[in-house]
Amino acid sequence: MTSTPLLISLALFVAALLLWLTRDEDNVEGDGEERPLDATSTNLPDGRPRAEIVFRVFSSVDQEFIAHLDSPRLRRMYQQERRKVALHWVVRTSRDVTRIMTAHRLASRQTHNLDVRTETKLFLQYLRLRLICALLILLIKSFGPHFLSDLAAHACELYRGMGRVLAEGSLANRIATVEETTTH
Amino acid sequence: MSKVAKLVTMNNAYDDLVSRTLSGLQCDLARLIYLASTRDYNSGMYHHEGLAGRYGAESARVALRAAHKDTFYRLVSLSLEDLVAELDNYVRISREAPTGLIHAWQELEPYRVAVPMDVDSTMVQLFLSNIRLALEILQFRRAKALECRPASSLQPLLGR
Repeated sequence: MTSTPLLISLALFVAALLLWLTRDEDNVEGDGEERPLDATSTNLPDGRPRAEIVFRVFSSVDQEFIAHLDSPRLRRMYQQERRKVALHWVVRTSRDVTRIMTAHRLASRQTHNLDVRTETKLFLQYLRLRLICALLILLIKSFGPHFLSDLAAHACELYRGMGRVLAEGSLANRIATVEETTTH
Repeated sequence: MSKVAKLVTMNNAYDDLVSRTLSGLQCDLARLIYLASTRDYNSGMYHHEGLAGRYGAESARVALRAAHKDTFYRLVSLSLEDLVAELDNYVRISREAPTGLIHAWQELEPYRVAVPMDVDSTMVQLFLSNIRLALEILQFRRAKALECRPASSLQPLLGR
């Protein structure tokens, strides 16, 4: 009976701890650049598929090639390099989604007809994605990126999912605004 | 000029660039370096005298920028093994001493300047990281080949 609240508290504590542990990553790994955000797109701003890049970064194909070279120095260097690139991607994704949510929150203040269900869904997706990013950061730092391709792909999918929810929400708001103006 | 006519001119400029100029270069890395060299360091604008003369400065600029990005994307998509082969090919066709070229690239990192503008930063990181690794791998292979060479070149001497 008492175990359920305990488990929930524990889960919340772990989640908070994860976010707290990775809170500085944005400043450390970030490149500080500001660019237009579009989570609805499956592509990068320049039109390249997001998933393709994620696959290249987290794929173990190059790791196998390096292993065949039989050089501990190269293996070490490869691990360091890939870890850096993978962390860069995760931090960017995490930062992008935070910026999207901030922009969405500011836009929501102007809206009169907020859909609570959509907003809750969006917030939960945001929280999930942030937690996955935090987990990815910890795991990449500890073990490297190569066993995490599924988790990275999941993060990618969540990011797109959030984009879809945002797009639907914004469309619904626009329709509601048009309806409001036509009835008055 | 109408929008359609502009697009057709840009497309023709791109095709011309690919078929006449870029096809003459033997590998994508050489094409990337060449295309980056047509970009002004200060303004980031591309310029190609011949192309601008035939299709206008704006169309030439768009064609060069598009070709630069395309070439970059092809290189980023390569596996590390293929990138090493690409770099090896580039070293061979450059006619420079391989050891000198590899050393200069490791020290000066000139490939950083070859990255197009406005591409995703993860892609840029991946490209730079892969080039660094490819250089190390080439150096490692050359060192290994040199280690093997004295032993094999000694054999005829020993036989004499």
